[in-house]
Amino acid sequence: MENNVILETEGLCKYWGGLKALDDLSLAFHDNQLHGIVGPNGAGKSTLLNMLCGHYKPTSGKILHRGESISSIKPYEFARRGIGRSFQKTNIYSNSTCLENCSVAVQRLMGGSFNFFRSRYSQKMLDEIATQALEKVGLGQRRDHIASQISYGEQRQLEIAMVLATSPEVLLLDEPMAGMGHEESQLIIDLLSRLKKEYCIVLVEHDMDAIFELSDQLTVMVDGQHLVTGSVDEVRDDPRVKEAYLGQGDEVY
Amino acid sequence: MLLNKRAERLFVWIFFPLALLMPMFLEQNEYYVNKLTTIMILSIFVMSLDYLVGKCGLITLGHAMFYGLGGYIFVMIAPEYEAVNFWIYTFYICAISATVAFVIGFLVLRTNGIYMIMITLAFAQMTFYYFSDSIDFGGTDGVFVYVKPETSIFGLSLFDLDNPTHFYYLCLLSLFNTLLFFKVLIRSRFGRLVDAIHANPGRTVALGYNIFIYRLVSYVVASALGAYAGYLFTLQYGFVNPSMLSWTTSGTALVMSILGGMGSIYGAILGTLVYEGLHYSLEHLTEHWLLFMGGLIILMVMVFKKGIAGFLEDLLEKRDGK
Repeated sequence: MENNVILETEGLCKYWGGLKALDDLSLAFHDNQLHGIVGPNGAGKSTLLNMLCGHYKPTSGKILHRGESISSIKPYEFARRGIGRSFQKTNIYSNSTCLENCSVAVQRLMGGSFNFFRSRYSQKMLDEIATQALEKVGLGQRRDHIASQISYGEQRQLEIAMVLATSPEVLLLDEPMAGMGHEESQLIIDLLSRLKKEYCIVLVEHDMDAIFELSDQLTVMVDGQHLVTGSVDEVRDDPRVKEAYLGQGDEVY
Repeated sequence: MLLNKRAERLFVWIFFPLALLMPMFLEQNEYYVNKLTTIMILSIFVMSLDYLVGKCGLITLGHAMFYGLGGYIFVMIAPEYEAVNFWIYTFYICAISATVAFVIGFLVLRTNGIYMIMITLAFAQMTFYYFSDSIDFGGTDGVFVYVKPETSIFGLSLFDLDNPTHFYYLCLLSLFNTLLFFKVLIRSRFGRLVDAIHANPGRTVALGYNIFIYRLVSYVVASALGAYAGYLFTLQYGFVNPSMLSWTTSGTALVMSILGGMGSIYGAILGTLVYEGLHYSLEHLTEHWLLFMGGLIILMVMVFKKGIAGFLEDLLEKRDGK
């Protein structure tokens, strides 16, 4: 089964002054696959994600979306091209209802954002799409709850729902399971294993169980450098990975 | 529902009917009618600022620039000894000041927070010194308006602007429309974006919105309304002078907005009423009224943490809770 390459990086570099946060990274992300990215703290995982969504500009190198260079476009245009992201720290509209959170996302596709007079509550279709996004992540029953009053795990789900509501093709997920209990993590794992059939997902995560379970492709990064990319088994057996990151066998995490 | 807070509904239902009847009680006293008219004009100005500061999170200290411009644009473009049409000039003034706001907003909105305060202040001060040093516009004395506009529309003249009561009703109508306009705007889809950008700009960008454009549109709209208020003020007193442009005008409006309850929109009316009411009563008691005024404002800001509007809302909520 051959999946199309959606997003690609070519010799991507990011320097913060003299510090090389990311050094000459060339990766390809495929459709309908979950691409996991692991590495110790400071390996440049979040930097990579922030560049893939346009938040940081690369020092050199290119980001290609369906073969087209998008390194120089504005941050908001990334989302318009279908590259959606969630954040490491929960980033939602906490004083609005869950539905309203998703409605902001849906409205970009539905238009009318410059309409001064039409009520924001007047369109059924917008509501429906937003509700669908909530249901997709299992938050259907939280529709009318204020976002700050739902549990932390649910807020993380809401983040993903907001990204889904923008109808993306790429999901960039920055530690969606950070700070979650085991059961809550399991919910997200189930969710992601469903979503990866439809989207190109790039997942940065510290939870090794989760990432081994979910990844179709796995990249290990160390000190801003690419170490190895392959299937989970290939990566697990790679001696360089064992040496640089995983230590001896299974007991590391 | 357009007015979603109970306190808001209560206020609107009390204030506007009362304001409508007021001139009947004050028939003999032109002074008070004029005073109230000024308060309503100021309320429009404060409301447009409240929208920017409280709703959009764009803190500006240069809003008075548009207030003054409203007046100066009028004396610039209107012939000196000829009655022009009020409505047509309203359109001109709003359009011209919107264009100015578009250009200035384009520069100003690249900054944020404290830097935005400084840059809006800088633009306002430039305008202030330009007009207060210019010979053409009478320097610090300003310019007189000798002939007030007529207000005929399709041959029907509803308001005689030389009559204080008529002018009062024109301002009341303007204030009501401004409130209605902002309420509809906030409820609209555009308003959804305004809320989203205020609550979490970073997230809104990540969802694919160019937030700069939305801020710019808000800035232009609020500035045009600020200019309209300045235009009304100029017509009421028959002159325009640089003090309308001064940064203390912006500052006072900001105090009124905070006092009323930032972002509540109708709070702008409350804030202006209370501020001007205090001003008036203290002024008559003592020469050092500013001293007491300052103290009272500090006290009120401490007691009403979310402004008078927020205080009323909490009060009603508490009463419902019991």
